[in-house]
This record gives sequence, C-alpha cells and structure tokens, in this order.
Amino acid sequence: MIVFGDAAEHFVLVAAALFTIGAVGFLVRRNVLVQLMSIELMLNAANLALVSYNRLHATEMTGHVFAFFVIAVAAAEASVGLAIALTFYRLRSSVYSDEADTLRH
Amino acid sequence: MDALLHRLEVLLPADEFTLLAVILLMPLLGAFVNGVFGRRLGDQAVSLMGLASIAISFAGSVVAFALLAFAANAAGSGESGHAAAATTFVWRGWEWLTLSARAGYSVPVEVAFSIDPLSAAMALVVTGVGLLIHLYSTKYMEGDPGYYRFFSYLNLFIFSMLVLVLGKNLVMVFIGWEGVGLCSYLLIGFWFEDGANAAAGKKAFITNRVGDFGLIVAMAMLVYYVGSLDFGTIAANRSLLLQDLSYWPPWNRLPLLDWMQTQSDWSVLSTVHGWVTTPWHASVATIVALALFLGCVGKSAQIPLYVWLPDAMAGPTPVSALIHAATMVTAGVYLVCRMAPVFALSPFAMFVVAFVGVSTAVFAASIALVQNDIKKVLAYSTISQLGFMFLGVGVGAFAAGFFHVVTHAFFKACLFLGAGSVIHAMHARIHATDAAQDLRNLGGLRRFMPHTHWTFLASVLAIAGFPLTAGFFSKDEILYRAWTSHLAVPVPDGKIPGTTVTMTGWPAWGPSVLFWLGVAAAVLTAFYMGRLYLGIFWGEFRGWRIVRRFRPRAAGHHDGASGAPGAPLEGPMPRESPLAMTVPLMVLGALALVGGFLNPHQLAVLIPGFHFAPVDDFLAPVFATAQSFGEVAIITHTEAGSVLAALAVGISVVAALAGLGIAYFIYAMRGGTPARELAERVPWLHRILLNRYWIDEVYQEVPIGTVDTLASAAVWVDRWLVDGVIAGISSGVVRVAGTVLRLFQTGRVQVYATAMVIGVAGVGWFFALPHAAARAFGDDDTGRYSLTAAPGLGYGYRWDADGDGAWDSDGFGQVRDVRFTLERERSRTVRLEVENAFGLRSMRRFEFTRPKVSRARPAAGRNTVIEIDEAGGARTVTLPDGRKIELEAPSPAEEGAR
Repeated sequence: MIVFGDAAEHFVLVAAALFTIGAVGFLVRRNVLVQLMSIELMLNAANLALVSYNRLHATEMTGHVFAFFVIAVAAAEASVGLAIALTFYRLRSSVYSDEADTLRH
Repeated sequence: MDALLHRLEVLLPADEFTLLAVILLMPLLGAFVNGVFGRRLGDQAVSLMGLASIAISFAGSVVAFALLAFAANAAGSGESGHAAAATTFVWRGWEWLTLSARAGYSVPVEVAFSIDPLSAAMALVVTGVGLLIHLYSTKYMEGDPGYYRFFSYLNLFIFSMLVLVLGKNLVMVFIGWEGVGLCSYLLIGFWFEDGANAAAGKKAFITNRVGDFGLIVAMAMLVYYVGSLDFGTIAANRSLLLQDLSYWPPWNRLPLLDWMQTQSDWSVLSTVHGWVTTPWHASVATIVALALFLGCVGKSAQIPLYVWLPDAMAGPTPVSALIHAATMVTAGVYLVCRMAPVFALSPFAMFVVAFVGVSTAVFAASIALVQNDIKKVLAYSTISQLGFMFLGVGVGAFAAGFFHVVTHAFFKACLFLGAGSVIHAMHARIHATDAAQDLRNLGGLRRFMPHTHWTFLASVLAIAGFPLTAGFFSKDEILYRAWTSHLAVPVPDGKIPGTTVTMTGWPAWGPSVLFWLGVAAAVLTAFYMGRLYLGIFWGEFRGWRIVRRFRPRAAGHHDGASGAPGAPLEGPMPRESPLAMTVPLMVLGALALVGGFLNPHQLAVLIPGFHFAPVDDFLAPVFATAQSFGEVAIITHTEAGSVLAALAVGISVVAALAGLGIAYFIYAMRGGTPARELAERVPWLHRILLNRYWIDEVYQEVPIGTVDTLASAAVWVDRWLVDGVIAGISSGVVRVAGTVLRLFQTGRVQVYATAMVIGVAGVGWFFALPHAAARAFGDDDTGRYSLTAAPGLGYGYRWDADGDGAWDSDGFGQVRDVRFTLERERSRTVRLEVENAFGLRSMRRFEFTRPKVSRARPAAGRNTVIEIDEAGGARTVTLPDGRKIELEAPSPAEEGAR
C-alpha cells in the first residue's frame, strides 16, 4: 500500500479531522444525543491517533492497549451519558442541553 | 493441687502470661456486647453477660494469684533467708509509641501488662468486689430503662481499672486512669435527665483533670531524667532521680528584675528582687513524686481536690460502692505503692503525702459528723479513710497502707450497699432521692431489715476499728507505723549520683504529729459511724406512719410523696431487700469482720513471739526496692519494744471504743439531745461543719469565677474581633470574588465546552512552539560555569558556547550541557537554539560575567579565615571575633629539617 506507507502522518491527519468535527459538533449542536455522538467521535479520533502513533514503535503495543482502554471507558461513558439524557428527557420533556439550567443560579 | 499448678506454670510462662489478656478482655467484651446489643438482648441477657465476664475475670485473677503465690513459695524455699525479688508475670502486646528523651535516646512505649503480688491483690479486690456489686446491681437497677447502659459502663469500668492495675508502664496506667475517670463520669451522671447529676459528673471529671496534669508532668519528667516509663526500669535507674533541680527562677534575665536591682533607693524593690531571684532547689525525685501525688490527690479525693467525691454520690448506689469507695478512688494509693521506689527517695514528698493524708482524714471526718444524707456521710468517710491510706504509704508503710485499701474495700463497699438496700426499702413510699437517704427520715430499720442491719453493724465496727475486726488491724498498723517510722534519704554531694554524704530526713516532731492527728481522726470516725448506724437502725421509724395493708392510691408509684421531713405520710412496712442484694452484703460483712486476720500484727501484743502476716510477706518483695537505696536503708522503723506496741494498740482500741461509746450515749441513750444542745450552744461550729467549711462556695467564687471572667472576655473578643472584623473581611473578599466569578457560570454546556476547547488549543499551541530555556550554574571563585538546557519532546539543540557569534555546529544535536571557564572580569554571551519536531526554532542568549571579587565571601565574624601571602611570607589568621594574628614564616632551617 504505497499510498499510506509506513509513516503515520496520514492517519494522524484523519484523526485530527475527526476530532475537529466532533469538537465543533459538540459546540454547535444543542441536542444532547448529537452531543453524545460528537463525544464518541472525539474519543474515536483519539483512538485512531493512538493506534497510528504506535506504527512508529512497531515493537511495542502500548498504543493499541491504550485504545482498548479508551473503548472500554467510552462504553461506560456512553451508558452513563444516555442514562442522564433519558432522565433529563423524562424530567423536562426536552433533549436540548441549554434547558438544563436549574443549577445556574 | 501442686500438680495442677505445675501444669499451669508450664502452660503460662512468666514472660508470656496470656492469662492477663483474658482477664483484661472479658470485661471489655462484656462492655461491648452490653453497650451495642444490650437494648435488644433484654435485661436477663445483659445481667448474664455482665456477671459472666466479671466472673471469668475474677477466676483468672484467682489463678494468677495462686500461680504467683506458688512461684513465690518455690523461689523462697530455693534461696532461704534472702528477700527474693518480686515474682512478676508479663504479657507484652505490641510496641505502641517511641518517645524521644534527652540526648537522643528513644523511649519505647509498649502495650504491656504485668502482674506481681501488689497488682494481683488489687486485681482480686477489683474483680471480686466488682463481681459482688454486679450481682447486687441486677436487683438494685431492676426496671431502670438504662439497665443495659449501666452494665456496659460497669464492665467498662472494670476493664479500665484492670488496665490501671495491671499496666506495666506509666502510660498504660494513665490510660486506665483516664478510663476509670471516664466511667466514673458516665456513671455519676447516669441519670443525666436531672441537671444536678450531670453537673456532679462534670465536676468529678474536671477536678480530676487538675490531678491528671500532675501525672502528665511526672511522666514527662521521668522520660527526660530516667529515660523510661516502665516501672521496673524506673526502679532500677532511680539513682538518676537524686540529681539536683533548680526550679526557680524559671528565667535567667528579665528587664524588670534588672531594673529593680538597680533601685537601691527603694529598699523594698531590692528586697523583692532578692526574694524573687533566690534559687530554689529540690531533687528530681521530689518534683516527680509531688507531681505524681497531685494526680493521686485528684483521683483519691484528698485535700484540696476532694470536692468532687461527695457530689459523686449522685450516681446509683452500687456505683458509689464500687467506684467511689472500693476501687477507683484507691487508685491513688495504688499508684504511690507502685511508684514507691521513687517516693521513698524524697522524704519531703513522703511527708507531704502523709500530712495531706492525715489532714484529710481529720477534716473529712469532722464534716461527716453533722451530715444528714447517709450517702454523704459515707462519702466523707471514704475521703477520710483514703487519708488514712495516704498516711500509711506516706510514712513508708506501703504494705500497711495497701492492706487498708483491701479492708476498706470490704467494709466500705458493704456500707454503701447497705445504704443502697435501705434506700431501696425507702422507695416503697418515698421517691425523692434526697429524702429517701435523709437520716431524719430513717430510724428503727433493724426490725424490718435484719440482714442489712447485721452486715451494716459488722462494717461499722470494722471501720470504727473495733478490736479484732478488719479495720482494727489495718488502721492500727498504719497509726503504729506513723509513730515509729523514720525516713531519711542519701543526698548526692555534687553532680555525680551515688556520691552520698548527707542524709536528709524528717523533722523530729513529724511522726508524733501524724500519729496524734491520726488518733483524732480515728475517734471522729468511730463517732460518726456510730451516729450513722444508730440513726438508721435504732429508735423509731421516722419515714412515714406504717399502716397495715397499705394500698397506694390510684396514681400509684409517684403519687407526690415529697417525703419532706415531718410531712404526714402513710405507707407500708419497709421490707428487706431480695437475696441478690443481701448475699453480697453478707459476703462483704463477713470479710469486714474476719478480713483483718490476713495481717494480724497486733496479736503479737497478746501472744508473745506471734508472727503471722501473709499479706505483708506476700507484698514484701514488691516494696523491697523502696526500703533501701543501695546499702543505705531509707525507711527505718524504730523496732519498738512490746510496751510501745501495746501502747499503740491500747490507744487505738480506746479511740475506737470512745468514739462508739460517745455515739451510743448521745444517740441511743439520750436520743440525740446532747448533740442538739451542743449545736445550739456553739452554733458557729455547727454551721461551719454543716456547710462543709464553705469550701465548695470558695471554689465556686475563686477558681471557677476567674475562669468564667476569662471566658466572658474571650467571648467578647471572639464575637467582636474574630467574628466581626476578621471573619467580616474574609467574607467580604469571598463575596466580591463570587460576584465576579458568577458571571462565568452561565449554565450553558456549550460555553463551558468552548472554554475547554480554547484551553486545550492554548496548551497545544504552547507545545507546538519550541522554547529555548536553560539553567545556569556557576562558581565565581573558580570561574567554572555550566548551562543545562531544558528538555522537550523532539527537541534538537545547538550551542554557541565560546561566544564568538557563530554556532559551534551547523546541525542540531542532543547535547544539552555546556561547560566553560572564565578569567576574572571577563564576560561571555552564550547562545542556545532549539529546533522542535515541526522544524520551528527558538533562540536565547545567556550573559556570564565573572566579578573581580567573589560574591560568595564568608561573612565577617563567623569563620576563621587564613590568608597566605603569595610571596610565601607572613600568614594572617582572622579569628571569628575579628582579631587578626600575624604568623611568622617558617625559617629555612625548619624547612630543611622537614
């Protein structure tokens, strides 16, 4: 695969693009579900970066192992996040994050 | 029997005597179970648990006692004629703390317990009397809502007391000491719904704090001067305590005092100056012993800290019997016995102990003469008897003093339990606590309560010192020894301990004063005990009019029977208490009669050549160390001829009979009329005694009033200065900061997330740029300098170390350090350039200048500076005080000789 080669740059660029999409999505969208998806996107971008940097250290598997950890943590985070979203919907009949302002003052 | 003891000896070796752990932990287990689960377990289970734990503990103490006696016998027969060292069984738990003492020594503090004849006897008394009183309490406290709480506290008390008695070092004793203080507080205030009871508990606790202060000071001084808190080590190294200590004045110079000295015009000031600055000396042993005795004064209710004990009678009567008569209050006497080797080194401290003891004995007995509350009479009687014990140990008769602890435990516990039995009977009709125990409401009870009457009589005879009862033998021995003992201690000459020249001892009038005061107290004791006994059990019953087939009204139990003296009241016949209460009375009453035969020295007066003193013989090894210092005897004892001994016994018998006889004459034959007439004729004396010399009022006004005033001042400062100003300023700062920071708290997730993104981007930007940074090290004296560049991920470095304006290498390498040397007054500019992984570069300059004179010159007046002339001529030495010494250059001949 000559296109990618052994270097990591291309993968890292993809990861950066993914992360930016996730971050912008989190910032501009108010729907909690979309925000959760954006968070997942950012986490996966981080995973991709970890795995691609691991190409530079071919004898070690640290990056891969870390990626697995992140996946596990992301699963837990998603379940908690969805539970909060669900409860929030039950309480407020809304999925818009800027309506969660009870603690504001 | 011997075979069994042999087996036990193998099972329980002397240095790992695990039986002690059983003795200690059973009451703790009882306290835990009763305290935590007692409410759900029910009263039956609680009393079973409480009794069983103490019974096991008592059985363990008996076994330990038997093993001790067995081992002591074996040792005694092995080396006959010599006084064997006290047999001691030890159980070590774990090392708990390490304290640091003088000269870097570390003092380990172990959780360790030991049992020797003294603590074995004490443990037997504590668990034995404790068991009887637990049994008594099962009926006395029946139906009380706090039944389980009572037994939990009582078990905890036994545990703490055993820790106190069995502790191997002063720290363990202190823990037990505080533990019994806590239980005393909890039990005095057991019925805490009544404010007076809670106040009495508080008073006991706070008064004891004063004494505990002394105990802590003594421990600190022992750590400092002896370097140990273990009893054995203290006794072994007690010669260290003979050193001289100047404890006044506590400062070296004070401006005011200097000024006073110069005022020769005012002779008053220079006199005061001379008076204030005169040094006062004492041996360390004196200070330590007096500090320890302060603790004993608090715990054992001696002058001036006795005031808590009469108030402590607010607790349930079994508590008064166990804690405030038989065991806890004797802890002070026990501590003096335990620390006898230290006390014996200070005749002054011993005299203070004896004199405070005998004064308290007379003082408290005089108050007891006129009190109407039967428990108050017994409380002052306890204070008085404790004074006798201190008289005993203070004159060096440790075994006699301790024997009085034992006999007193018997008869005073019996008296208190008897009083409790009377109060129990009175509660048939009178429920007000004060009225139920008022002598003016009692009388004639011997017809209704025969068991209580006979046991009470036995104990009254014992405490009065009626011949051949327990109190007679123990009290007479104390008085006799007070008359004949002589204390003198070697005083070290100079600073080396052990070089003894002089002996200091007691004044010649000491023993006779102590003896006659003791006799006076004995007469008073016999009299007020006679009055108490006759008042309760003789004459007519004055509580209420006894009506056959009395029915309480529908209101029932508490039908407003105020029980004020003389109020017309009808009620049933007072009844004898149940068996669980009278059995302990009978056991203790019997012991009060015959317990003295454990140590009947006085029989030698009747039977020449008689020697039978098991208690003395058993305890003698414990006190052997205290009796002499090296080869010098400290406590000597005029070996009286039989005439003197007979005289002492005779005086003692006369004192007891006179007191009892006068009481019988006044209260039984004349119905108290002579006493009333005397009170009318000298009303001031009666008022003084009735109001207990107004000591409580004085304490209320002077120390407590001072503290209250201080507290009010502190409250003012706290409210207006601390709360008003300081707290006001800080709350204002917080308020302003909060108003600003609140603006950022928008409640919108996107705003927070944006802040995070900006922050992350900033951090990323920082890492993306290279940063050329380095730390410089240098020494102006040698001219050597170095630079170390800060590390960074993916950094390459290049240097211009020689300062010529061109890079040392074209490419970037991994060299992070450069070193170079500068001449004096030269400077150089070193450059560092860094390139990171993105190819971005950063450059920085570092200026170095070596001064003409090195800055790091030693400060004048601190060091010795030696300067050598370059020409090899004179050498100059500058001393710390600035003086300069010129040295001659070595002559060529000397050079050649080398």
